[in-house]
Amino acid sequence: MQRRTFIQALSLAGLAAAFPSMSLSAFASARQNVSVNDLPKLEGELTLYLGRGEGGLYEDVLNAIKKRNPNFKLNIRRGPTAALANTILAEAKAGITRADLFWAVDSGAIAQVANAGLANALPQDIKEQFKPQFQFNNWAPVSGRIRTMPYNPKKVGNKPLPTSIMDLPNSDFRIAWAPSYASFQSFVTAMRLTEGDAATTQWLKAMKRKARKYAGELGVVMAVERGEADIGLANHYYTLRLKSGKPDANLKLAFTNNDAGCLVNASGVIALKESKTAIDFIRYLLSSEVQSYLSSEAYEIPLAGINPPPKGIPSLDEISPPKIDLTQLADLRPTLNLMRKAGVL
Amino acid sequence: MNPVSKKCMKLLQSAIVCTALFSVTAQANGPIGDHVNHLTDNLPTYEKEVHWLLEKVDGIVARYEEKGAKAAHSDAIVEHWEDVKFHSAIESNYVLIYASIWQGLFGVKEAIDNGLPASAVKNEREKLSQSLWQALGAVKMAATFQDKGLLAQVQTREGAPSNSLEALDQINVQLNRVVAKYAEKLNDTSVKMVAETYLNLFEGVEGELIALDANLVEDLEKDFNVTLPKAIKANASVGQVREIIAAMTSKINKASALLKEKANNKKDVF
Repeated sequence: MQRRTFIQALSLAGLAAAFPSMSLSAFASARQNVSVNDLPKLEGELTLYLGRGEGGLYEDVLNAIKKRNPNFKLNIRRGPTAALANTILAEAKAGITRADLFWAVDSGAIAQVANAGLANALPQDIKEQFKPQFQFNNWAPVSGRIRTMPYNPKKVGNKPLPTSIMDLPNSDFRIAWAPSYASFQSFVTAMRLTEGDAATTQWLKAMKRKARKYAGELGVVMAVERGEADIGLANHYYTLRLKSGKPDANLKLAFTNNDAGCLVNASGVIALKESKTAIDFIRYLLSSEVQSYLSSEAYEIPLAGINPPPKGIPSLDEISPPKIDLTQLADLRPTLNLMRKAGVL
Repeated sequence: MNPVSKKCMKLLQSAIVCTALFSVTAQANGPIGDHVNHLTDNLPTYEKEVHWLLEKVDGIVARYEEKGAKAAHSDAIVEHWEDVKFHSAIESNYVLIYASIWQGLFGVKEAIDNGLPASAVKNEREKLSQSLWQALGAVKMAATFQDKGLLAQVQTREGAPSNSLEALDQINVQLNRVVAKYAEKLNDTSVKMVAETYLNLFEGVEGELIALDANLVEDLEKDFNVTLPKAIKANASVGQVREIIAAMTSKINKASALLKEKANNKKDVF
């Protein structure tokens, strides 16, 4: 059965039967939406280190929180996520903690800081807003993105799409990829963890022979839509955004099955200081209003509470991502070394 | 003032206002001194520096005429320019003229290095002189705007844009800097700047923009990743690179208008 049909055919019960190793609790949770109306007013002052992402949409969220809480002052330091993570680590080494919170677009950067012992534990009620695979003691995912294979249906025709990411370089398809892209590198880290270094190196070398390189993943998606490539590797939201700006785009999404090609990564937030206001601020980010906003405006996957995914993407219950603890994606160095060794960087 | 000069001043005035509206992040080769935030106080110094620089260039041209290229030491032209404070005053306020100055400096230097007749060298010296005086005019006008509080404080360290509109403004500034660096003959630096502008600024915007106009993003993607770097690597003329960047700037401005329109109709978070 082709993967596309497979996904469409899956029901909740069918999914549980298809993946007996996954706990049923992952599908039947008692999670609830928390409305911003139920949250306490924020008071005092916080400093947030904000990793760059999604244009001004994160800023819209922050402005809305500030507007709703007139007695609350938020200082923001902006920068690339990886650079801010390094700043936090360097400040900690110097005995300084300037930031109360760190909101990063990539769970790897979050884990880097959390693994250094700099993140404070979160209350149980925050953890309980998430499915078990997204429950962490000291950081909260804010929104998710799925690794996908955007493809051009006109070019692909009736040929079956690979259901395993490892099979992709062996296919006849013309492939587009962006190996310098941070999300791609997190995906390779996931592949290292699930398949091992030797198989990942082999895969990268095979892809290098086969795939055309692009600077970013939006470039990948556009190349597929133009027909320069038949299939690509990219986060899901690029396809949804392109289709929003060009509804007749020659573009569809495919998902691999239970491997790194279908990794669900997340942006996340940590509290760097013990502070009730910081914890309450995190609750605002997880509120159903913010989750819905990020879903409808940024095409991100809501992870807290029970909110529908953006239009055009299956829910997390309908895909089969690999079972990977996202905090394991923190250390990029072995991945970068391996990619250099394979000649793709 | 004759009609042509008046027209030039009008163009200059609007150009400075446009630049002033951007949040300028100065990124010169060397550190940018705080004098750029006190232009009026420093105008006499800048004027002296323009006279001094032209005297130095005249000396080089005269030596070339009398004793030939070796005695002229044409490399000193660029060294003298890099010594003056005025360098960063014009770079941080009106980078397009800054690029013309570099074109002028290299015009004189290359005319000497290529052994052109003295008349041709003097011709290049005249073009340089025009660019320098035009630049001083631009800085004087910028000083007036600065005194009235209409000019953004020049940041002497890099700041991150807080939204897509600010990012687009920074992209325009960075693209004009690419022309300047290209005119400085720093081809590798120019290509690197294009790549960094794409990765650090445009990539953060294009996701939002593509949902509004996919074809525009596709055009800009091609400009950033193919057209502009290819022209620089192929040693296109400064004029050709400037034309490509002018076309890109026009597309960036269209993007800005689209995002402003979207911002007006954006749904509330709460």
